[in-house]
Amino acid sequence: MNNRKSARVLTMALMAALAVPLTYGVLQLPTPGQADAPAHSNVSAKYIEAGAELAGSENLVTGVLLNFRALDTFGEVLVIFTAWLAVAAVAGGAREAGQDSIPPSPIVDYVIRLLGPFIAIFAVFVIVNGHVLPGGGFQGGVVLGAMLIMLSLVLGTGVVEGVFSDRVWIWLRAAGVLVFAMVALLGLPAAGFLFGLGQAPALRQALMMALELAIGVGGGAVLAGLYFSIAGTHRS
Amino acid sequence: MSPTDVLDLVLLALLLTCAIGIARLKDLAAAAILFSAYSFILCLVWAHRGAPDVAMTEAAVGAGITTVLFLTVISRVGRREK
Amino acid sequence: MNLAAEAFSHVDYLVTVALFLIGAWILLTSGNLVKKVIGLNIMETSVFAFIVTTGMIDDGAPPLLAAGVEGPFASPLPHALVLTGIVVAVSVTSLALVLILRVKAELGSVELDEIASAGEQPGAAAPPDSRGHAND
Repeated sequence: MNNRKSARVLTMALMAALAVPLTYGVLQLPTPGQADAPAHSNVSAKYIEAGAELAGSENLVTGVLLNFRALDTFGEVLVIFTAWLAVAAVAGGAREAGQDSIPPSPIVDYVIRLLGPFIAIFAVFVIVNGHVLPGGGFQGGVVLGAMLIMLSLVLGTGVVEGVFSDRVWIWLRAAGVLVFAMVALLGLPAAGFLFGLGQAPALRQALMMALELAIGVGGGAVLAGLYFSIAGTHRS
Repeated sequence: MSPTDVLDLVLLALLLTCAIGIARLKDLAAAAILFSAYSFILCLVWAHRGAPDVAMTEAAVGAGITTVLFLTVISRVGRREK
Repeated sequence: MNLAAEAFSHVDYLVTVALFLIGAWILLTSGNLVKKVIGLNIMETSVFAFIVTTGMIDDGAPPLLAAGVEGPFASPLPHALVLTGIVVAVSVTSLALVLILRVKAELGSVELDEIASAGEQPGAAAPPDSRGHAND
């Protein structure tokens, strides 16, 4: 088709035109991996220097996510909750629950049933140990969500979704946002600003653990909910 | 060149191969599986660069959740691109 | 040549730029909506790779202050930004996919050519889906 071919040529020209300033800009950056690059000398150096006590955890990424930049994480939890709301609203309508796909082969069935509980334990381990090991709230939450999706491939979305009633699922998904908002407002009288986690290390640890559990459970439930909405939509 | 440099270059070459493969495939299910492989190689690249948290999340989200969503939708809308 | 040496030392960044352009190409020239979403995901992950690479240190340690680990730590700030980015990417992808399912239900096809020609003949598309009413 002439139309499509000329569109492709035009797009190729656009890509070439984009490549030039991008490559030029990228080559101006310092070589990746140097320890004295500006990226490492300003804010990150202060975070690493502040150490584990001020950050509240030995895992600095968790410290950045839940302590130094907690407002960004609040926005992230809101985004994924809103995405689930939108997906549930668009997919709404007639929902077909139960085994609606080709049942998997016996090997897949057996392996998933065998691994399911171990993956669940691993997810909880990652969530709870976010302070000292790589991991944390959202990392464990996605593993939890992936496990729920995997189980519903074998057992059918109806069975996995039927473990809790609809209302309980909605409260689980909202748990992330609600706990975050509560902890944020708690900081207001204590320290004068939102997410003021207080000076006492024990209080700070407890609040960060609550935030991690909220993100973990909320994130996992929302991701599972996204799959349930998409997989349960009426066949066209 | 040290072995870690070679590993890095091999992973980057695999990334580009996966991306170009996705661009040229007409079979959508194959493109989704290739996207899962691309996501997993990206996870290896990040683990190699000292970012274990990001690698863990990308492995679960990209190679797991997004690929399952793609395959679910592809099974409903048709497997071949015209 | 100086340019070649500099390009080789920046190969991590250049691969990211190449992946971004490949993703943009897939997004712009596919006729199939699902393929476009895959291209969008490739673009998003290439940007994440770029951000993480700005925070890496050669032979550095991951940003974990466990006992006895020393040496330059990779910067934790890009990791946090990319984690938020991955969440946003999966949200956008799932919303796009569920909209594609509705397009298929309402218009009968997810190919742009067929959707365009179905739109030109009013009422000649697949019969409107009357099952899609919300039940609440």
